[in-house]
Amino acid sequence: MSLLEVRALSAGYGPVEVLHGIDLDVDHGEMVVILGANGAGKTTTMRAVSGMIGRSGSVTFDGVDITRTNAEKLVGMGIAHVPQGRGTFPDLTVMDNLRVGAYARSGGIAADIDRWFAVFPRLAERRDQRAGSLSGGEQQMLAIARALMSHPKLLLCDEPSLGLAPLITQEVFEVLKKLNADEGLSVLLVEQNANLALKVAQRVYLLETGTVVASGSAAQIASDDAIRKAYLGA
Amino acid sequence: MERFFQYLFDGLSLGSIYALLALGLVVVFRGTGHLNFAQGEMAMICTFVVWQFNDWGVPLVLSIILGMIVGFALGAGVEATIIRGVAKKSQAGVFVVSIALFLGLNSLAAMIWGSLPPEQLPGLFPDEPDDFQRIFGAVWRYEYIGVLAVALVLMGLLFLLFAKTKFGLAMRAVASNPESARLAGIPTGIVLASSWGIAGAMGALSGTLWGGIVGELNAGLMFTVFIYASAAATLGGFDSPGGAVIAGLTIGVGEQFLAGYFPGWIGQEMKLSAALLTIFVVLLVKPSGLFGSTKVERV
Repeated sequence: MSLLEVRALSAGYGPVEVLHGIDLDVDHGEMVVILGANGAGKTTTMRAVSGMIGRSGSVTFDGVDITRTNAEKLVGMGIAHVPQGRGTFPDLTVMDNLRVGAYARSGGIAADIDRWFAVFPRLAERRDQRAGSLSGGEQQMLAIARALMSHPKLLLCDEPSLGLAPLITQEVFEVLKKLNADEGLSVLLVEQNANLALKVAQRVYLLETGTVVASGSAAQIASDDAIRKAYLGA
Repeated sequence: MERFFQYLFDGLSLGSIYALLALGLVVVFRGTGHLNFAQGEMAMICTFVVWQFNDWGVPLVLSIILGMIVGFALGAGVEATIIRGVAKKSQAGVFVVSIALFLGLNSLAAMIWGSLPPEQLPGLFPDEPDDFQRIFGAVWRYEYIGVLAVALVLMGLLFLLFAKTKFGLAMRAVASNPESARLAGIPTGIVLASSWGIAGAMGALSGTLWGGIVGELNAGLMFTVFIYASAAATLGGFDSPGGAVIAGLTIGVGEQFLAGYFPGWIGQEMKLSAALLTIFVVLLVKPSGLFGSTKVERV
């Protein structure tokens, strides 16, 4: 059984339905990417999975039905969500950001903070600085480190490359890839940068106006001519 | 020089009461982004509750603690039942609702306690004519020293709560980014209700201290204090607890100096207008206040 099983998931904002019944799986230790144009429903999918917006259908995580579970409970069950653009607490210091990340658990927090400082040395240099004063790339790394402080089994990462310089984006993806390969962290990634995403992810879902129009292994999707034309610009 | 120290000291003491109420405004504003116009009236109701317990024979200190608990419950209850629902629909609605609360609580107090002759709230501290100490020639009444001490201790405790506890961390996280706070597993509803509750409890204390100085309770007890507290919160910056305390003390002292040194053209009548003028000028010149933060955010 998959770690995350999404069935017939519909969600939206008020009377406007954005997702029209999608199915999606993330296996243990798998990195899955959701591709799609602006407005396809990628972020809505993430928000629906983590319970930030009303949803129907079913979401099962690690064998437990979480369709009706509150967002703030999920982090304790092992789902960490880095939302698009603003995953940090701008008024809090880097240290406090990481402490908030460990809010749902206790014990070994200082050791964990040291560990993420080793992975992201630039965060260590800025440990007493307010997160809002960090560069975009540093903020994205802090948002990811903050999410990982909760010891998740599944990391939802919503467009980590947004607004970042290509080199910084590379660096962020290297870290995600490494965590996935070395520690078996399962990742569900939303990304506009399809070329980059196809290099790190094992499986792909292609979203168009709220429905899954194609899915398959990264290699399959990358070699499909029609998809290449539409999404990869080549 | 004697007058200078007299005004300074009286101002600090009264200012500490404004600072307590202003701190309540700031805690609410930081948590939910709303200005609670009913803050002063909630404090007034709680002061009546303190009087009521005391009148039933409960010792004064215990009555004050009970009053602060009622203040916490009132604040948290109002947030959870009325404010949260309205805020989801419209931010401007919260403004109207808090004005309605202001009027409703005021009438409620008048209805329950208004028919009685003005109530005497016993002071928390010795208040006989000779209960004072002369320092630099100024009269430092024990009551005023006590008010200042109690207010400063409570503020100190509050700052420890903000800076050193896990709950304080959660409050700061919710204020900074409510969505990510929820995703980090913080029960934002409980945190927001608690912010309003803490503001309510501080209001109860500030009302009781003020009531002890005024000596007489009525439904209009907190009206002027609320104006001064709003001026303090504006001057200090609505998201800065430290700013609220410094500005509260400053406004208390400024009020005494203005009324004392210029009795002719400011005096007791015009000093409230001076507070309103302060609000006006700060909003015009530096809307974020002296210590408030203009949002820093880079994406």
